[in-house]
Amino acid sequence: MSGILWLELIVGTLISFSLLGLMLWAVKGGQFDDGKKQMNGLLFDSTEDLQDAINKENKIKELKAKKQKNNNLD
Amino acid sequence: MSNMECTHCNLSFPKDVMIEEDNDLYFCCKGCQGVYHLLKDDGLDSFYDKKGKEKLSAPLAVNEDASNFDLDSFKQIYIKTTADGFSSIDLVIEGIHCSACIWLNEKVLNDEAGIVEVNINFSNHKAKIVWDEDTIKLSHIIDRIRAIGYNAYPYKTGTKNEINVNKKRDYFSKLSVAIFASMNIMMIDVAKYTGYLTSMSDDAKFMIHVAEMIFASPVLFYSGIIFFKGGYFGLKNKIINMDFLIAFGAVLTYIYSWYVLVSGSGHSYFDSVAMIITFVLVGKYLEVIGKKNANDTIDTIKSSIPYEATRIKDNEKEIVSVEQIEIGDTIEVKNGQKACVDGKLISTYASFDQSSISGESIDVVKQKGDTIYSSTINTSDVIVYEATTTYANSTFNSIIELLENSLNTKPKIQDITNELSKNFSLIILLLSIATFTGWYIYNGDFENALIVSISVIVIACPCALALATPIASLIGISWMSKKGLLLKDAKLIETFNDIDTIVLDKTGTITHGVLEVVNMSNKTLTKEQLNILYTLVDSSTHLVSVAVKKYLNKNFENLEFINIKDIKQIAGLGINASYDNKILYGGKSQNTENKYTNFEFKINDIVIVRFDLQDTIKEDATQLIEYFKSQNIEVFICSGDNEYVVKDISSKINIKNFKANMKPEDKYDFINQLKKENKKVAMVGDGVNDTLALSKADISISMASGSDISINVSDVIILNNSLKSLMNSFYISKRTYKFIKQNLFISLIYNALTIPIAMAGYVVPLFAALSMSLSSLLVVGNSFRIKRNLNKKDI
Repeated sequence: MSGILWLELIVGTLISFSLLGLMLWAVKGGQFDDGKKQMNGLLFDSTEDLQDAINKENKIKELKAKKQKNNNLD
Repeated sequence: MSNMECTHCNLSFPKDVMIEEDNDLYFCCKGCQGVYHLLKDDGLDSFYDKKGKEKLSAPLAVNEDASNFDLDSFKQIYIKTTADGFSSIDLVIEGIHCSACIWLNEKVLNDEAGIVEVNINFSNHKAKIVWDEDTIKLSHIIDRIRAIGYNAYPYKTGTKNEINVNKKRDYFSKLSVAIFASMNIMMIDVAKYTGYLTSMSDDAKFMIHVAEMIFASPVLFYSGIIFFKGGYFGLKNKIINMDFLIAFGAVLTYIYSWYVLVSGSGHSYFDSVAMIITFVLVGKYLEVIGKKNANDTIDTIKSSIPYEATRIKDNEKEIVSVEQIEIGDTIEVKNGQKACVDGKLISTYASFDQSSISGESIDVVKQKGDTIYSSTINTSDVIVYEATTTYANSTFNSIIELLENSLNTKPKIQDITNELSKNFSLIILLLSIATFTGWYIYNGDFENALIVSISVIVIACPCALALATPIASLIGISWMSKKGLLLKDAKLIETFNDIDTIVLDKTGTITHGVLEVVNMSNKTLTKEQLNILYTLVDSSTHLVSVAVKKYLNKNFENLEFINIKDIKQIAGLGINASYDNKILYGGKSQNTENKYTNFEFKINDIVIVRFDLQDTIKEDATQLIEYFKSQNIEVFICSGDNEYVVKDISSKINIKNFKANMKPEDKYDFINQLKKENKKVAMVGDGVNDTLALSKADISISMASGSDISINVSDVIILNNSLKSLMNSFYISKRTYKFIKQNLFISLIYNALTIPIAMAGYVVPLFAALSMSLSSLLVVGNSFRIKRNLNKKDI
């Protein structure tokens, strides 16, 4: 019984601290700088916005690759 | 006629003034119509679903050429290069109302090729845009923002901004850890305290103590590091401060709890460690947010200053950054552009929107030689003016600096409170040691003695005392700024309370400084005479002529201009002209001095009509004087005008004490004399002639429309020139001071009641922390009452 409790404590603590670490990483990255925008952003989530996010990621990748190529040429 | 809502902005207007389209679309203006169709054509009409019923202001019509954003001088100042080689700029977006506005701007820009990142902050409307210079120009980005009805201004992100952003993130991380750990500890506490009642096994108790220790440790050593640092710096300066008490109390509790954990006897207090740090950290975090918001506000104001100007040198125009402008430079300002530094008008005529300085929405007409203020907008054609200040010394930059200083200074009463809390902290530490010693000697129980002494430290933490003044001052000052009052120094809140005498300047303070016709001697003028007079006064921009023309327009219909000839301005006297072989004269009367300014209209030396003109008293002057009387403040009027005029104005607003024909040094001597009589004097003025007196008064108050010098020497600046704001400055300061005193009383009473209870051993550390936080909340809540009641009074 006691062994199970210790196991639960260790696993629970590890998981919760990992999640906390994830949040701290997001905070350091500036994701929580604008709380209001984040809260309201939830209302605007749609498949269209998700598609936009994917397109944006692809666009950034392309731009970075292009920039890298130009820098190498220089 | 029923009102309709604009399809784009949702503002309501009568149906007949709206632009109707397809029977179901209504627009209040062409701007709204244009933006609506642009969004629809670009497939962005889901903006309206997201916006819902939120009302927007009409789209901003910006006619400025965005190509300036591509200039090298601009790039050097505002554009940075990222590690990947992209360009980055920080902007303030004007016109943002809701989340849908943010969505729209981000969506429109993200859809553009070459944009790498767009991030607009909802709270402060600041935006960071990263783009590839090879693919898209910044001017195009700005044009896209303007096309959808918004505008963007660049601002410089200084180290102060970075420090504030990083500090906020750091505190947020620390607070997140503290709250996360405290919440977990609270859950474990349920098991712990239930276990005490149900005879929990030692194994289970040990496990709970370990779990609590795991969660309390990061709170103390990560979140609580702020208090260790604060306490260390305090000790370095030989001060026992609030941070030291918190750190000391928490460490003692933590060490004792470890002792319990290892020895297996007694109760651990890891929960108290986490709670103490968490509760106090919430207050510290709010303080950090407040400072960051103040910084954001200043950045937004700064962004409204133009970043470059057109300088004319050797008959050639060049675009230079505002910092490069030197005194004596000739600057060109086009219609709709802002003046970047102060100067003197070289062009013969101009009109300026001075609302950014004075709050006055009506354009101000300027003539050659008149002062042009920085950040005011040229509403006339292209004008040129000569710089009389550099950018750093310009009026608008000075106002920003004053605002920054005002936000950074503490009232005198706060200095006293800080001193008090330092001594208070030392006393509490001594009381705590005495409590520990007393209890240990009394019952020999180390655990009990330690816990009681920790409770004393925690419950007596002078948070409420330290918060009492700054929170009330902050609310008072921010409310003042909303009412158009700029307080140079927060210490003045206290001084306002002591004022028993107020000296008012007349022109520009009590009166508008604008003439108005109060009497017309002959109203039976023929149509021809009226038209001649009307044409004559129209030919002059002199204040008297303008007032007479205004009067004629108001009181006579169908006035027409006729062809009068040989118009000549006679300096200081009036206008001469001829019409149909008749000699015309309009100007100063040869009458003796009286309470009026006179204007005579003569044809062939025969007086046709005479006008009596008078400066108009500001609408709320009487109300202001009544307020001062109700507060037992003695009121004086001091003016350089003749006795007739000053006496007349004084009697109209029920002031018995007036001084006429006062030169600047007379005003100064008068204030000096009042001060010798041990009176606390406030002086209100606006001109250079008031400067000496203003510098001598205990509180000097100046109208923003006044001279630069008078503004510089003043403690308070009334931005909207309204007397109601002057009344507000007294009302808000007195009220804020009252609440500061109330807050100090609350915190002292709290400590006087709770410390003996804690010393007697009736409070465990956890409840001490809760109680301490409640006292802080009480002080904060009480301070918010300042604003609530002001709303009701609508002052």
